[in-house]
Amino acid sequence: MAKTYDYLFKLLLIGDSGVGKTSILFRFSEDAFNISFISTIGIDFKIRTIDLDGKKVKLQIWDTAGQERFRTITTAYYRGSMGIMLVYDVTNEKSFENIKNWIRNIEENASADVEKMILGNKCDLDAKRQVSKERGEQLAIEYQIKFVETSAKDSLNVEYAFYTLARDIKAKMEKKQEASNPPGARSGAHQLRANEQQRKPTSWLSRCSVL
Amino acid sequence: MDKPAEMSQKDYVEDGQNKLIIKCKFCGSKILDKKSAKYIMQEKELPFMQQDTRKGGEVQIETINQFYHVENMYTFENIGFTHTVANHKYLSCADCYAGPLGYYEIDTKHSYVALTRVEHC
Repeated sequence: MAKTYDYLFKLLLIGDSGVGKTSILFRFSEDAFNISFISTIGIDFKIRTIDLDGKKVKLQIWDTAGQERFRTITTAYYRGSMGIMLVYDVTNEKSFENIKNWIRNIEENASADVEKMILGNKCDLDAKRQVSKERGEQLAIEYQIKFVETSAKDSLNVEYAFYTLARDIKAKMEKKQEASNPPGARSGAHQLRANEQQRKPTSWLSRCSVL
Repeated sequence: MDKPAEMSQKDYVEDGQNKLIIKCKFCGSKILDKKSAKYIMQEKELPFMQQDTRKGGEVQIETINQFYHVENMYTFENIGFTHTVANHKYLSCADCYAGPLGYYEIDTKHSYVALTRVEHC
């Protein structure tokens, strides 16, 4: 059967236990189904389809909940992952400090060019806040990673975060594709135009590009 | 429950495929595009979506015999997969916890969505 999508990205949710990774994975984390059969078994991953600039993008998002108590996520889990959401809880100082450890874990196990984003979750719980937004931003600058505060409970910025990460991966892939397959070499029509340019190099610039 | 045991084929099936878009009954999340899955009949037991916890640990099941067969998991628009239980993963709504909506077979990598557990629109 024909492929019905343009891109497929594997994403991981990583962070300490209790920061709300599973809530981020689901849009409605209300109690309605918390007693259901599904929640007792737990979700391994989900597939979401989004539209990115007219392209159909399938996201396969893995929840690492349950594994994080071992402090590391195994290499097998990272295999093939193209984007990672690093999640901490703004009401839990320790979970914020551990982001650095998670980044180290990623550097040791994941592909070097994996896209990352830091999420400061539970930002609706302002009275209990232990980590200021500024500290989150500072950490993100230090590692040159994008950052946003989220509230899975209020559905704040969760969609934005997934779209942002997916868009960054897509941009990186397109850049790579262009580098390995320059526009001029892609189709016969382009090829012809490139040849024409070679025959009559009218400007200094086009001559330069041939060299 | 007075849900009909079997759903009328002509309302939901066309050319052996799902005639309509498949959504979650509870939150409306889109699960399958129209004409993206094959209709099949097979008997399969699935745990109820809501378990009566008073019955102490025992999983209550029902037999379902109408499914949509999805060969490639990326055919789904939005769907959740549980951890593996005895060579299966159960399917859930990707936006709320509703499920099992069906199951995924580890060996064949095929998925099966129960007609009675989803919304057709």
